[in-house]
Parts: sequence; C-alpha cells; structure tokens
Amino acid sequence: MPVHATFTGTQIENGGTLFLQNCAFCHGKDAGGGESGPDLTRSALVTADKEGEGIGAIVRNGRIEKGMPKFNLADGEILSLTAFIHAQQDKAMSQTGTRKGVDESDLQTGNAAAGKQYFEGAGGCSKCHSETSLAGVATRFKSLQLEMQMLYPRNVKSKVTVTPRGGQSMTGTLEYQDEFTIGLKDAAGMYHSWPVAMISYKVDQPLEAHVTAFSKYTDNDIHDVLAYIQTLK
Amino acid sequence: MKHTAREWGCMSWNKSVRIVTLLAGVACCAAPLAAQNVTDEMLKHPPRDSWPGFHGDYTGRRHSALTEITPGNVANMTLAWTFQTQQNGSVKSTPILVDGVLYFTTPDNIWAVDARTGHQIWHYTAPPNKAFHIGQRGVSIRKDRIYYMSSDAHLLAMEAKSGKILWDVVVADSNKGQWATMSPLIVGNHVLVGASGDFDNLQGFLRSIDADTGETQWNWYATPPVGTAKTTSGGNIWMTGTYDPELNLVYFGTGNPTPVLTGKVRPGDNLYTCSIVAINPDTGKLSWAFQPSPHDTHDWDAVEIPVIVDAPFAGAPRKLLMQASRNGYFFVLDRTTGKNLLTTTFGPTNWTLGVDKEGRPIPNPAKEPTPDGRLIAPDESGLTNYRSPSFDPKTGLFIVSASPSYSLYFSKAADGTYGWAGADYSLWSKGVLEAIDYKTGKIRWSHELGQRAGSGVLTTASGLTFSGDSAGNFLGLDTATGNTLWHAGAGGPISSTPITYELDGHQVLLTSGGSVIYTWVLPQAATKKMAASK
Repeated sequence: MPVHATFTGTQIENGGTLFLQNCAFCHGKDAGGGESGPDLTRSALVTADKEGEGIGAIVRNGRIEKGMPKFNLADGEILSLTAFIHAQQDKAMSQTGTRKGVDESDLQTGNAAAGKQYFEGAGGCSKCHSETSLAGVATRFKSLQLEMQMLYPRNVKSKVTVTPRGGQSMTGTLEYQDEFTIGLKDAAGMYHSWPVAMISYKVDQPLEAHVTAFSKYTDNDIHDVLAYIQTLK
Repeated sequence: MKHTAREWGCMSWNKSVRIVTLLAGVACCAAPLAAQNVTDEMLKHPPRDSWPGFHGDYTGRRHSALTEITPGNVANMTLAWTFQTQQNGSVKSTPILVDGVLYFTTPDNIWAVDARTGHQIWHYTAPPNKAFHIGQRGVSIRKDRIYYMSSDAHLLAMEAKSGKILWDVVVADSNKGQWATMSPLIVGNHVLVGASGDFDNLQGFLRSIDADTGETQWNWYATPPVGTAKTTSGGNIWMTGTYDPELNLVYFGTGNPTPVLTGKVRPGDNLYTCSIVAINPDTGKLSWAFQPSPHDTHDWDAVEIPVIVDAPFAGAPRKLLMQASRNGYFFVLDRTTGKNLLTTTFGPTNWTLGVDKEGRPIPNPAKEPTPDGRLIAPDESGLTNYRSPSFDPKTGLFIVSASPSYSLYFSKAADGTYGWAGADYSLWSKGVLEAIDYKTGKIRWSHELGQRAGSGVLTTASGLTFSGDSAGNFLGLDTATGNTLWHAGAGGPISSTPITYELDGHQVLLTSGGSVIYTWVLPQAATKKMAASK
C-alpha cells in the first residue's frame, strides 16, 4: 500500500464534499475515473504523494494542456482533498478480487510477432523508431500508460525555426503557438516571441505520424503492436 | 390680461409643482410597469436592445440582425467595460439582457449588472450544497421574474429587480446524483427544465413548471422507471431547447443511456436516450423523436442545440431542424415530422457500420468498449458538445466549434452495470471551427483553433462570426471565408458564447474569458457616450 500522512475523518469527509463539487465530474465520485478525467486511484502521482505536495501542485496549477483547469483553494482545502483522494486509493487497492478500471492483465490480448511485423511493415513505425531507440520503454511506462504513450506520446516538445523578415533565423523549442504569435525557448533557455505576420516559421511535427495512424489501425493492430512494445524492456 | 413677473413666476412655479407631481405620479404608478415586463411576444421576437433568453431568440441560431459592426470596422472595436466576477471557475453562462440590465451566472452565483457601465446592481449567492459545480449556463426571464436552476437542481423564481427569492422548488434530488446547469426554456407560462446525472442510473426527464406558482404542470420521461428489466435508464436533458411557436413544439436533445459504457444490460436502441425529441409544451406529449445515437456506449449525449431554420431544402421551402451532434454526425431533419433529410459526419468517426434508412448511424458492435480497449473517434467529450453553434442564413452555413479526437474505451465485468461502468481515455484532440453547408453537409471552410476550444459561436447579419480559440483569443471572422478580422486575448479560457445587442442606439458585443465579462463597441459609440456626458 502507498505510504502517506495520516488524515482525520473530518479531513476526509470535508475533502469528499470538495471533491464532489469540483473534481467528481471528471474523475468520478469515487476518484476512479469519470468524464474525461483519469482514475486517480491508479495514478502514480497520487501514489507518490505524501501530504498534498504533489496533488496540491496539480490542483493549483491545473493541467491546462490536458483540459484540467486550475483551482484556487486554500491550504486546508487542498489537504482535505488530498486526504479524500488517498482514502479512495487505499480503498480501491485493498479491494479483493478483480478491481474495476484498466489492469495490466487486461492488456495482454495481442500477438507480439504480428505486432513486430506491423511495426516494421504496414504500420510504418520503423520510419522513425527502432528496437534500439525504444529500448527500455516498457520499463519506463507500464500498462495503460505504455499503451497511451505508444499511441500518442505525451510531453513531446516540437522544434521550431523562426526567420524574422530580413533577420537571422533562430531555432528552439516551441513554447507557445496560436494563430497570431509564436514563442520559443532557445538553447540557453531564454524565451522569445514574434507576431506571426512578421516572420516565416517552420514547426517540425514529430507526432503528426501518430495522428495519421489513428485512422489506419485496427484494434487488433494496436493490441499486437502493444504486445511487441511490451517486450522492449 | 397682463401678468406681473411675480405672477408668471408664481404660475411657472405652480406649473413646475404640477409637473413634478405629475412626474412623481408617473414614477409612482408606473413603478411596477417600469420593472421588467418580459412578454411572450418579446421572447418570440426579441427587440434589438435585448437578449432575453439563452439563445437570444427561440431558434437557437444565435444569429443577430444587427449590422453596425461590420467586417470593415470590426478591427476598430474597443473595450467598453469589463466585469470581474472574482470567482474560481470561468463564466460558462450566456447573459440575458432586458431593459439595460444584464443577468449572468457562475455556479451558486447570479449577478444583475448595468449594461451601460458594468456596475453591479445585485449579487445572489446560493447556500452551500454538495452537488457538482461544473457550470451554470444562465438564468431565464418572464414578466418581472428570473428563473434559476441551482447546482443541486432546484428551480428558483426571483424578483428581477432585487434577486429576492419568490419560490424555490426541488426539480431533482441531488443526493441521488442529479445536478443542474441548465438555463430554463420559457414558453408561455411553462418553465421547462431538466437535470444532469449519469454517474448513477437515473431517469432522464423534462419537467414543465408553472411560471407563476412553481407547480409542476407535466413530466416527460426519456426512459422507463429505473429497474425496468432489459431497458435503459438515463436520457438526462441538460441543455436549453428551442421552440417553434407555429407548430407549438419544443425541441430538446436527450442525454446518454446508463450504465454509460456497457450496453449489455440494456439491449436495443434505448429510446429515448441520445435523441432529439419534439414535445407539445402545453401537454408534455411527444410529437416525434429522432435518435442520433442508437444504443450509445460512448457517452455521446445528443443534447447539442437543435437549431431551427426556415430555408429551402432540395428545392422546396422547409421547416428544418439541424444538429451537429456529439457523436460526430450532422443531421438535418424536417421539424414538423422528424423525418431525416441529411446525415453526414463533420470530422473523424470510426464507430458505425453506416447509416440506416431512417438516417440514423448504425453503431458497430465491435466498437463497444471492451476489457482490452477500443480505439474510438471522436473521444468522449465528442466532436462537439454544449458549445452553441450558429446558423448564418445568408451563406447557409452552420458553424460549429468542433474537436476531432481519438480515445480508448474500456469496459469489463468488474466495472459493473451502475453509472459509468467502464473507463475511457482521450489520446489526442484538437479544435477547429467548421462551417458546414446545410444543404450538402460539406465543410466550406475550417478555422483551426489549436487545442479543443470552449467557446460557442455567434453570427451577425453584417457577415461576422464571433467565437474563441483554445489559447484564449476572442475571434471575429469573416463568415464567408472564415478569415480572421479581429482578435483580442481574454487572459483565460473562453467557456461561453458571445452575444450581441443594441444599447443606446449602438451595437455591443459581449464576450467572457476566464471569470471576466468583456463588452466591446465601435470607437464612435464610445466617443458619443463621452460627448453626451460632457
């Protein structure tokens, strides 16, 4: 069982009310997943959290890129929420028999040999990846996380090259992009931005192939490739 | 007769008194009349200087006849005022405007604000309650009362002038898992309301409540009583419907069936979940129903606005109803009979085996959630959702904020048959404004919005489209081409739909971003106001 601080019954109860009002729609009433939000009882971040240091940071800052807004809650409220989430995780993990939600054992229906063939052939995966470049991926990611990472890797930054009119090109990590503005971080970590109308720019989109692949896979292909990827420990 | 100055003075003094008395009399006797008197006629044909219901008018088109702000001058718009709600969440409501007063909400909060200044007239805060606080879409108005659905699914009638509660009736028991976000649809003396709640197996309903007394007039249930063997529960109605006064029919979309992600215990089409229903507002009797998602297992409520349009279709004038549905399909129906005229997709979908002879998508059983997961497009939030679309009659474009997306759907025996009963994970999504030609279903232009965006759409008769992108930019586009003509950063996520109205002879655009309301006018309107005040 995960180790965390001890919370009072009142903290858990107050946290339950706050959770219902603010979190339950996305994460489910029991924190086991709801509309668009993940199952928090299976969250590595929750498991690592001791007394709100991890959970609190997410609640306060949100995960804007994943659609989670930030919440302006007081310290005591954050602690209560943390108490409730830990209590729910403890409950889910101490459950006997088959647990609800996605288990690693559910994700073993593919054929690794067929997956390797698809990876190297029809899937076109080997245009960018190889067994060497993916070595250890099944150790770094497990279960559903591995499958999600395989289908559309998270936290991959794009590179952008910006050429201001009549100026020197600059290449860096794409930090901001909307219809009107491009922002990048240079090698030294400095942020620069330009109005789109005053530059030409090129964003490399390493993940575009993953988007294109969505409309090509069958469910069997996905399970086969997952079985193959699961061998890359 | 000759009058002395004094006599004149005296007379004019007398006259003044009389005038003052007269004015006082007017003020005194007219006071109840001067308070808002929103009539049925006004709701059917909103004056230019009002926005008296969620959609503005009853059609759900969110199209304004105002033309002062044009493609040529929209870039000159300037900020008139902002109103800071100073709340946690973002404003998701559509404000209503009557007699120069704006009313808008966030969960547990209602404000009445002077439309000329942004000055607060009153602010209501609800008592603490445990219900979900995911959004509040606005209040509605009739005569001198506003109607508000609380988070815990009560309907409150309040004095528009003060926010004083006149009555409070329970619409659904929030302890059982229903909650409310809806702006009621008011038709005559019927206040039409529903509730949300698919985390539990509950019966979806539409209720008509007497606007004067708060008494229930009728209930229409989307599904059989909970526990009826081999049938579905759910079908919650949580978005404001539309109304055709000539046919005397209201149109509502119903929500998904429960249990949500497993369909085994509820075989068949699961009527009337994920349906568009036409109901007589006086009797509560169903006239017709059309089901965008038979036997849904992906949480694709069909509550998206059923937009009413009178326009030619296949050469003949028709009374049409259009919906861009969460499941990725765009439908055109005859709203007299419910007969399907067009079914098409407006983005990636992979869950059907085609379309049946009634125009309904045929769900592919192989795409129902499984223990090892199924790749599904769109994701659970859908190709669109509660974000209001707009119909522009001049171009024949139905413009919707769409979100192409892919996800994984899981369900296994251990997930049970109550409430969610599975799990789903979005893998990728983006935001794009799609302009659909209603006659063909073809997309005429697309405007990228970055990630999935939260703003609805407004069009105006001058050829403008207003919406917002995922980075928090308000956008003013050319309706004909989708090209950007104006933008401004909101400083927060845009989660509502812009509205427009006339105030003191000039057009105003109202938007919200984060927890702040913004109003925009042309510079000459602002200047005239300043000149008048000097």
